[in-house]
Amino acid sequence: MAEEPETMLQLPSTPAAGGEGLTDVSPETATPEPPSSAAVSPGTEEPSGDTKKKIDILLKAVGDTPIMKTKKWAVERTRTIQGLIDFIKKFLKLVASEQLCCFCPILLEFIYVNQSFAPSPDQEVGTLYECFGSDGKLVLHYCKSQAWG
Amino acid sequence: MTDDKDVLRDVWFGRIPTCFTLYQDEITEREAEPYYLLLPRVSYLTLVTDKVKKHFQKVMRQEDISEIWFEYEGTPLKWHYPIGLLFDLLASSSALPWNITVHFKSFPEKDLLHCPSKDAIEAHFMSCMKEADALKHKSQVINEMQKKDHKQLWMGLQNDRFDQFWAINRKLMEYPAEENGFRYIPFRIYQTTTERPFIQKLFRPVAADGQLHTLGDLLKEVCPSAIAPEDGERRNQVMIHGIEPMLETPLQWLSEHLSYPDNFLHISIIPKQTD
Repeated sequence: MAEEPETMLQLPSTPAAGGEGLTDVSPETATPEPPSSAAVSPGTEEPSGDTKKKIDILLKAVGDTPIMKTKKWAVERTRTIQGLIDFIKKFLKLVASEQLCCFCPILLEFIYVNQSFAPSPDQEVGTLYECFGSDGKLVLHYCKSQAWG
Repeated sequence: MTDDKDVLRDVWFGRIPTCFTLYQDEITEREAEPYYLLLPRVSYLTLVTDKVKKHFQKVMRQEDISEIWFEYEGTPLKWHYPIGLLFDLLASSSALPWNITVHFKSFPEKDLLHCPSKDAIEAHFMSCMKEADALKHKSQVINEMQKKDHKQLWMGLQNDRFDQFWAINRKLMEYPAEENGFRYIPFRIYQTTTERPFIQKLFRPVAADGQLHTLGDLLKEVCPSAIAPEDGERRNQVMIHGIEPMLETPLQWLSEHLSYPDNFLHISIIPKQTD
């Protein structure tokens, strides 16, 4: 997959930074994570207003996968699943050879069912959000091993 | 009288006559003859081209061979897109056979996913089916199936077994008696003229008043440029499986009969040819 030098993920904003994006609302996270080498800048903007807007993604670890301290992220719609996986791997300090899979759980009534699908690496998170988002966010599960078929 | 079921067979057995030619810069020990093959529209390139690979590898040295990839007029062909979609989108206006160039070097990392094994194709295919059922039935039908049913879907596609495939797939085409169709229609709309890979949104097959939504309704809502201008000569063709369905066709019917085996309607919007 394409090497994307700059991620478009926005770090949790401190009150000073203000602006769009999310602060992590869980009390356990005292301070925002220090920027990794792959951090953020608003990056190149898309011409159309629709693709400029970021969407909220909630990342959940499954299996014996390390949990990210910051789970909620604001992500550009055109970010691909591969781009997201690369970011999570860097954030968790996984080596390049370690596999990371991303799954989209399906909301059934009030709970997410475990069985879900793994979006193609070139799929855009914006499309997934439109089709499978709920309560203003897209929930994605990630795991090191192939937990589900 | 033609049964709707005949449409399922016509879709499944659609073929594209293709001529595979080795890229001129590949290093060969002998002249490489082109290889001709009828490609199934509903399958995937890396699933049906073992013979092509063998044919060209016979004239090459082992050290000059790495992962095979295909290209049409300079555009790398995504193996994870169905063959019929690639053809309709990129080559339907050209004369047959479809001329595809075969490469064994310089894999275009930015444009293509790697295809390490048949298992990768199976995983991709099953994931698409699951995504389609998530839209149609909140995943309930596909999740109630046993692993052997999932396997049968894949084996049916891999071995070109229509009956084997549809014995299971028919369950994915059912919907509750009290409804008039699926929850949402799995569709993807492709155009070569935009940067976006495809358009996919939530769209119901039935309107609030019980009327069935049509293909035209869908396009008007999610891709109005496809059917513009409404009053005048249309600029584009709307193509599925090499045909242009009438815009008045109910979307629910299209989903049940013209979906690819992954249960998605893959729709190509291509510029109309001016003679």
